[in-house]
Amino acid sequence: MIEVAALMIAPLFAGGLSLVVHRSALLHAINLMSMGTLVAAEIMITRTVLRDGPFTALDQLVYLDALSSFILFIIGAVGLACSFYMRSYMDEQVARGMIAPTRLNLFFSLFHMFLLAMVVATIANSVGVQWVAIEATTLATTFLIAFWRRRESLEAGWKYLILCSVGISLALFGVVLLYYSSLHVLSDVSQALNVTQLLPVADRLNPHVLKLAFIFILVGYGTKVGLVPMHSWLPDAYTEAPAPVVAMLAGVLEVVSVYAILRMRMIVDHAVPSGFTGGLLVLLGFSSLVTAALFILIQHNYKRLFAYSSIEHMGIAMIGFGVGGPLGTFGGLFHLLNHAFAKSMAFFAAGNIHRRYHTMEIGHVQGLAVAQPWTAMALMISGLALSALPPFASFASEVQVVTALASQGIPGMPFTSTGGMVSFALSDQFSRVGLATVFLLFAVLAFAGLIYRMTRMVWGTPPEGILREETWTLGHLPIILLAGALVVFSFFLPPPIRQLLEQATMLLVIQ
Amino acid sequence: MQVLSYSGSQLVDLCSALLLLTCFAIVAQRRLSACVDLFALQSAFLVMTAALVAYLTGNQHLYIAAALTGVIKVIIIPRVLKKVIDRLNVKRELVMYVNVPAGLLICGGLVMLAFFISQPIIPLGFLLTRDSLAIALAIVLIGFFTMIARQKAVTQLVGFLVLENGLFLGATAATYGMPLIVELGVFFDVLIATLIAGIYTNRLQDAFDSVDTNQLTVLKE
Amino acid sequence: MLEAIFLVVAQVTSLLAVSPFLVGLIRKVKARLQLRRGASVFQPYADLAKLFRKQPVISTTASWVFTATPYIVFASTLSAGLLVPTFISQTPMNFAGNIIALVYLLALGTFFLILAGLDAGSTFGGMGSSREAIVASLTEPAMILSIFAIALTNGSTNLSTIVQKTALLEGTVADPSPHLMALAALFIVALAETGRVPVDNPATHLELTMIHEAMVLEYSGRYLALLEWAAGLKLAVFLSLIANVFAPWGIATTVAPAAMMIGFLVYLAKTAALAVLIGVIECMFAKLRLFRVTDLLGVAFILGLLGLLFFYILRS
Repeated sequence: MIEVAALMIAPLFAGGLSLVVHRSALLHAINLMSMGTLVAAEIMITRTVLRDGPFTALDQLVYLDALSSFILFIIGAVGLACSFYMRSYMDEQVARGMIAPTRLNLFFSLFHMFLLAMVVATIANSVGVQWVAIEATTLATTFLIAFWRRRESLEAGWKYLILCSVGISLALFGVVLLYYSSLHVLSDVSQALNVTQLLPVADRLNPHVLKLAFIFILVGYGTKVGLVPMHSWLPDAYTEAPAPVVAMLAGVLEVVSVYAILRMRMIVDHAVPSGFTGGLLVLLGFSSLVTAALFILIQHNYKRLFAYSSIEHMGIAMIGFGVGGPLGTFGGLFHLLNHAFAKSMAFFAAGNIHRRYHTMEIGHVQGLAVAQPWTAMALMISGLALSALPPFASFASEVQVVTALASQGIPGMPFTSTGGMVSFALSDQFSRVGLATVFLLFAVLAFAGLIYRMTRMVWGTPPEGILREETWTLGHLPIILLAGALVVFSFFLPPPIRQLLEQATMLLVIQ
Repeated sequence: MQVLSYSGSQLVDLCSALLLLTCFAIVAQRRLSACVDLFALQSAFLVMTAALVAYLTGNQHLYIAAALTGVIKVIIIPRVLKKVIDRLNVKRELVMYVNVPAGLLICGGLVMLAFFISQPIIPLGFLLTRDSLAIALAIVLIGFFTMIARQKAVTQLVGFLVLENGLFLGATAATYGMPLIVELGVFFDVLIATLIAGIYTNRLQDAFDSVDTNQLTVLKE
Repeated sequence: MLEAIFLVVAQVTSLLAVSPFLVGLIRKVKARLQLRRGASVFQPYADLAKLFRKQPVISTTASWVFTATPYIVFASTLSAGLLVPTFISQTPMNFAGNIIALVYLLALGTFFLILAGLDAGSTFGGMGSSREAIVASLTEPAMILSIFAIALTNGSTNLSTIVQKTALLEGTVADPSPHLMALAALFIVALAETGRVPVDNPATHLELTMIHEAMVLEYSGRYLALLEWAAGLKLAVFLSLIANVFAPWGIATTVAPAAMMIGFLVYLAKTAALAVLIGVIECMFAKLRLFRVTDLLGVAFILGLLGLLFFYILRS
């Protein structure tokens, strides 16, 4: 299982090595090599999973199936893109004095640790280890978010640290409850948190405890995903963190947190009728979609704009998972992938704009098409993809989600099953169509807000003193590749990715 | 899993109740350093609980957890926090979002809530001590409340640590500890989180000349 | 009958004899912790004797309330003391009243003390009375709640029954969590009711802070002696209550002379230990500002409430 070991050793080694290296070129080389190793290992694992199905490794510590391989794929792809982007971005930050040259190695080291934590969270067999890894992502990123050390970044970092730590502590309580329920069923105490042990006996676990555990875990990891109402740290952190960090947060960390929720759901759904978990997911999904769409309309800071768009898209993915069924689940997973690509691209573009214009105000950015044609193109493409317009793949995934919603409706009766406070008196037909309409309404609102602001930034004449040319750098390569992937995926999913998605969907849908 | 003897489970219940008691003292306490001391005391009770459960059940690895709690939460973290407080220009909290008597009432309500939430799952616990899970949940909620009600970064941090203690009480008293690897990871995370938050508090002090988190309002919609 | 009379006499004598000792012990502990030698533990006896010999001075504006109060306070506190088991679990007067009667006998004393503070017409007395009224109104609910918590877990409001039950269980407290909450609440109440730091400071006559001392400022001679003794009795009543309800180990459960002898020695040791604890607390903590007293008594109230809730939610 050399490839599994490589997944963890590469970032660990790179992180340690980065601490003692001071030359920027060398740091980038280490970073690229580590990312390359990671992607290579990921490809090998995907092949094994697709050929032989799920497997465990390293004495039951690691569990890999199609779902975790799919998440690993997103980590690898976005991570690699980030590494290329950092090649030009970080050097300029140092040159401009935003980051002291002596702190560059710290940045890289924390970046690798962040990556390592996410990988561990994805491949861990034990739900407890997964929790430890997700908490570790908070710790690794909190300094990355505050890396500029301005007042605003300190504020954002503090909020992020406190809110996410608290949220994730609640998730730990959920894990404790899960363990409590599994102790009654499993004899081997040391393995009682392992997914491989829990899944076969999941239907015998106590449903009361599992319900409570799921609520805690959903709130806990939902904080990391940035679901409304646990989202208040997210716009601040996304605004203040350096662009590559935000790209990783928005593109990968959110996905990993969603994955942790899905893992838990796989277990809970065996014991509790899936209407319970699905209903909660739809509830949070809608609250995120609606709130974020409204906030998108009033943003005047382009990074915050993208941040709220992240919340919106996570809401959409959650609705997909909550509605469930093959269509909804596939749509949700596919949407995670599309959003990861589009959003990291958007933040790369945002980073480029910030470097040139030194402002985050949308009103102060004009004539991007003249000043930075490449970036302007990337911004438009990502904006269109985030608005889910054809020909981008996000269109396909969003259509899948809304179709599932309109055809299946909310599973069970979420409000009655979550406590009997409110019961839906509406007919099933009416509520399905009504919900789909609400969904589309707010998706269109978000689209309008996004596109209106993008066009204002792209067109017009640049203000005085803004350089009007953009030289090709390595940082542009990932933007081109991601844009290409978004277009290609909409009509042709490469067979391995399609198979991964289909198998992951099979794992999540309970017959 | 063994079932505790009646008097054994009562002793564990008693220790849990002691933890809850210190929670209320923390909520009522305004002096920052006293809050930290109370947290250390609470952690000491936690060590006692863990050691007791370890002794009663014979789970060897719980001794390790107890020892780690002792080192990290009774000694290291309070020291770090005391150092942070020494650097600050505030010694006590005068303005709170919720005043003390109201806060106490709310916490009483939270305890009730915790008991109601955990009531349906208590009867099935053949290994569970009667009150511990509910008390653990109550401590988690009170810690959460402290973080909301207080303005100073240090007391918010104490709230977070209290919350963690509640979680740990849940893990020890209700399930006799988690698998060792998870437990070690959790300790590591808590320690690092506190250190990081301590560093942050210092930087906040430098940047804002205050550790009032209600001054953190630069970033808004 | 003869036995009952003997027990009443024994209980009254022991309470009267022990209470000045407890006051002296607290003073001694405080002195030692402050690196002073301090007066002898038996100094309060000498003080009382001296005060009884002195002629009292009474303000011309004072009414009969002023002169009656010391006797009422002394008598009510002493009767309260008869309801609380000290060295033997079966108190001779337990037919006459239960734990609730105890609360109201103590409240009666407080009430008259407040009246007397106002009666003398001095500003300090009025100030002390108003403060005492605040404190009393806050301690009362906390005390009632914690007492109910104890009564419910033991299924009786009769103190003798409660103590007897717990004592016969050979040291295992039937229900630790409600008991612990009630104990903490009652301890805070005891500090407040007996005018101890952090609520009041019995050692100063500083007008900004004093409560109890302000009310009795106008008293002298035997009246003062009675009030001082009553204050000591109140302390002894609370300490006996705490010691015997929460830790009744060693108390005599029968009227056998040997058991009673042991019971008395254990009782002395337990109350002395509590007195030392109070002395230590007085040294460690500063007196709270009057408006912060609500925080402390709020804690007591909530704890009493929780003790009750623990019983209702978990045991129902």
